[in-house]
Amino acid sequence: MMKKEIKVDHLTRVEGHGAIEIILEGDKVKDVKVRITEGPRFYEYTVRERLWTDIPKVVSRICGICYVSHRIASVRAIEDAFDVTVPEPIKLLRRLLIVGEFFESHALHVYFLALPDYMGYDSALAMAKEYPNVVKRAFKMKNLGNTIMKTITGKHFHGENIIPGGFATYPTKEELLALKEQLEDVIVDVEDTVKLFDSLDYPELNDPPILQMAISKDKLAFVGNEMYLSDGTVFTKNEFEMFVTETFNGYSMAKQSTIEGKPFLVGPLARINLHIDSLRPKTKEIVKKMRIKFPSNNSLHQNVARTIELLELVQEGIELIDAILADYPSVSRVDVKPKAGTGFGLKEAPRGTLYHKYSFDENGRCTNANIITPTAQLQANMEKDLKSLADRLSSEDEATIKKYAEMMIRAYDPCISCSVHMFGAKFETLKVVRL
Amino acid sequence: MAKPKIGIMYLTSCAGCQCEILNYEEALLKLLDLTEIKYFPIGSSANTLDEELDVLFVEGSVSSSLDEEMVKKGREKAKILVAIGTCACFGGIQANNNDVPLEELLETVYGTTDMPFEITHARPVEEVVKVDYSLPGCPVDGKQFVYAAAFLLNGVKPFFPKMAVCYECKLSETECRTLQGLFCLGPITAAGCGAPCTSKGLGCQGCRGDHDAPNYREMVEVLSARGLKGKDLINFMKVFRGNYLKEKLKDAGVE
Repeated sequence: MMKKEIKVDHLTRVEGHGAIEIILEGDKVKDVKVRITEGPRFYEYTVRERLWTDIPKVVSRICGICYVSHRIASVRAIEDAFDVTVPEPIKLLRRLLIVGEFFESHALHVYFLALPDYMGYDSALAMAKEYPNVVKRAFKMKNLGNTIMKTITGKHFHGENIIPGGFATYPTKEELLALKEQLEDVIVDVEDTVKLFDSLDYPELNDPPILQMAISKDKLAFVGNEMYLSDGTVFTKNEFEMFVTETFNGYSMAKQSTIEGKPFLVGPLARINLHIDSLRPKTKEIVKKMRIKFPSNNSLHQNVARTIELLELVQEGIELIDAILADYPSVSRVDVKPKAGTGFGLKEAPRGTLYHKYSFDENGRCTNANIITPTAQLQANMEKDLKSLADRLSSEDEATIKKYAEMMIRAYDPCISCSVHMFGAKFETLKVVRL
Repeated sequence: MAKPKIGIMYLTSCAGCQCEILNYEEALLKLLDLTEIKYFPIGSSANTLDEELDVLFVEGSVSSSLDEEMVKKGREKAKILVAIGTCACFGGIQANNNDVPLEELLETVYGTTDMPFEITHARPVEEVVKVDYSLPGCPVDGKQFVYAAAFLLNGVKPFFPKMAVCYECKLSETECRTLQGLFCLGPITAAGCGAPCTSKGLGCQGCRGDHDAPNYREMVEVLSARGLKGKDLINFMKVFRGNYLKEKLKDAGVE
């Protein structure tokens, strides 16, 4: 029987380097591998023996795109370990930061990484000549995210003003009002984005996810203390590792996560699928008119789910600023006193749930750390989706299978910047399981 | 006249520098008009390293045999190579473990040393290939990137004076964080970022490396007087340069 190996040696328009491999025997898919490496950066080792004050700064460098997620997950874990409760104004400002982070990340992803596939271009920049307004809108939305992050933390990326206990400084009223104005101004762009992504052609895929997971049972939330699974299970942040287990599969440097041995879906599609009924009225109104229906079993619809999240977040941003201003000036920081113990931090990063855990000695030096990133959690599910995609397309030519495989991987927006280094030239020396 | 060809490559890093570059949209769109971007995997699916490049920007540290191979190939093709960001310039956070045997690191984090490709300790790009210019920062400062690109494309050598962050604090009338008792690396760190961390009420974290004449001995004394001592002090100072800074401190007679 004809054996065929389809390889994408170097994935592009993803954050990081990665490769995929599909092995066909005749029309039958024998094996699918997503090779992701978490990069040899050894963060969990680096934080050991370090003071708690250094930790958010170190771990935020895991990712340049979702540094806010890593910082917030880590400060929440540190506060949890030291029994620190932060007051409402700090929580509100953190949530506003999340709005900024999602705007930057989602806009970057849907327009710059995913859209060129659907428009037939190599890159969004190449689209600029013929579709200047689409590219301008992309920049406008992305820049809004950056402005929010810069206003609050001091820098677009890796701003240091997110610390255990709160913020060293709080933005001024004027700065917050300026952000509110920009949020109001971008609503129409978000609505147009929803329409654009709702109008694209997505290959039909109807392979229900085995399990889906997101923070909080009751509604769409980006920080929380418990996880909700589509089978009804609820577990707390302290129980995370009892449910989500990680194994090293030998061919990909990211450890593979499963729940009871099964792949699971996290991220925008899981969040929107699980919380579609509790979105804001305005969002519901728009969602009702959409061509694509949620809950959806098509993983390519993750792009559409992202745009719905932006719609929720732009409204949330405005509500948050109103709430912050109603109680201004506010406490920006509470005291943190280290003590021995272990703390847990959960956050929905743009790509899915992020888990940080740290143990400390009585001086606040870290003795142990564990971080489970969304991309590590999604790896098994990506392989599952690629397999069903390849099953459907197995009689097609290689270029077609490759194209859709890449589209599928990009729909996940894997954050391999944390980070993969698969380079085509070296592929032969890898331990590839061959038929 | 043919347009200059440029590339943006990334090795082991968080991609933050490229994201910072993507933020400067007007400059980027102009750059697109004035140059041909031949290699930019995060932004485009059309990439080649088989053609001559006029300028190649490289983000990230060299942390594996694959990184090494890629940057060597890039160097071969590029007339000018610019290291961007702290990982490319100093090894970055991942260089903190360079005194730990790789086997121990791999065993601890992955439970095995059997990796799909060869892993090395994190090295700055200049340890592997010749670097023409370095633009440090975590992430690289977008404005500096734009200036450097503009200079290079006009055949001018980019030059950024390396003054202390303190200088920019004074310019922006930011109260001295050292005098406030905070742990601030501003007195030894190269400015050029606009001192955003101190402006937010924090001490400088030292992501941009040394200015022209860093006084390590004095810095260590000041930090110690403010309560940061021993291993905690070294850890704080070396976050962005890891053991490369540790060596420098040793040379300066500070431990």
